[in-house]
Amino acid sequence: MSTFNEATQQAAINLCLSIADDKLFLGHRNSNWTGIAPILEADIAFSSLAQDDIAHASAIYELVGSLMGDSADDIAYGRKPDAYLCADIVTKDDGFDWANAIARQFYCNHFDLLRFERLSNSSWSELAALCKRLVVEQHIQVNHINDWVMQLATGTTESKEKIAHALNEYANEASMMFETPYGFELLIEDGIVNSSSDIFDAWHKRVSEQFNRAGIEIEVKQRSVDAQGGRSGIHSEDFNESLRELQAVYREDPTAAW
Amino acid sequence: MVRKQAILDVLLTIPDPEMPISIVDLGIVETVDVQDSNVHVDLLPTFIGCLALPAIADEVKSKVGAIDGIEQVTVDYIYDPPWSTDRMTEQGKSDLAAMGIAVPDGACCGGSNETQVELQTSAIKCPWCESEDTAYTSAFGPTRCRSIHYCNACRQPFERMKQV
Repeated sequence: MSTFNEATQQAAINLCLSIADDKLFLGHRNSNWTGIAPILEADIAFSSLAQDDIAHASAIYELVGSLMGDSADDIAYGRKPDAYLCADIVTKDDGFDWANAIARQFYCNHFDLLRFERLSNSSWSELAALCKRLVVEQHIQVNHINDWVMQLATGTTESKEKIAHALNEYANEASMMFETPYGFELLIEDGIVNSSSDIFDAWHKRVSEQFNRAGIEIEVKQRSVDAQGGRSGIHSEDFNESLRELQAVYREDPTAAW
Repeated sequence: MVRKQAILDVLLTIPDPEMPISIVDLGIVETVDVQDSNVHVDLLPTFIGCLALPAIADEVKSKVGAIDGIEQVTVDYIYDPPWSTDRMTEQGKSDLAAMGIAVPDGACCGGSNETQVELQTSAIKCPWCESEDTAYTSAFGPTRCRSIHYCNACRQPFERMKQV
């Protein structure tokens, strides 16, 4: 197992938590669609995506648990609100509007694929191995969500307006995914993360390709460099509400098996 | 001293809980390490979110543990190399086809960063009637590793192992 010096270890923990927390909360939000998605295939798909995302989160919590000395469940459910490092796009309330759910998923899936591709070359071998596997699964999510954006954008006038509105509505939160957790520079120095200064541009290029293909114009601006949010533990009210829901069972009985 | 072959023979009798195929033919057994009376098995998850993973690990522990001369069996899931349909044996592919689950020929994956998952291909052959006049219904089926298709020729739905 890899060992790090104290500062790098904390930075590595923060990185893993930022990824796993994104996945856990996105999966949690998507699981709300089980039983009520617009068509049967979409219902099964969103439930499957939620299952994947929560399983991915769990695999990353287990990895980081080896550094923190905690179980995956305790890390996932037992922290205080400001110790969660997810970007707030994952918990932004979709109001049970399908276009919102698709927009949120679209931005997040493209970002996840990109960071897993890059982390597959990490000098932290356990993380690199896991990310190689995650890349394969993330491709399926990206292909699926690209198809949905395309379907809605080329469907009716109403569906086109709705998906364009939703993509614009989530653009600001999407840009906040690129905030880096505390200690990130140390990870670059140690080769745990490859230089990532171009990651927004790389992501922007991919999502823009899909907008062009779908014939919609969406502007996603890069966040201002000092903008702080979820990665610094500063969260929205939607996050707090999600967390209360997520922790409800754990708070009743932290030792329950489920 | 327990022979490694005896362990492999036992693994061949363990089916995937969700499909009529042995875990060996599915290609998820990566390494079997025998040290005196202790055995360690590394398995590859088909998909990380597959709900059958704990059941498979338990079955390996119990069946291999029952071999004479074995005291301890440990099982880990590892992620590198990533599992792919390319790892399935010919026997495994024909076992699945008999149940109406198509299997892609060969994997599509190159190096870690070239990995592609092909979801909508032309000419996916129906496992029932072998027609190539089939349509892709959904990437998400009853398990994480299977997609759903429809055969226009024999008018039957069928499943397919996702090409990863």
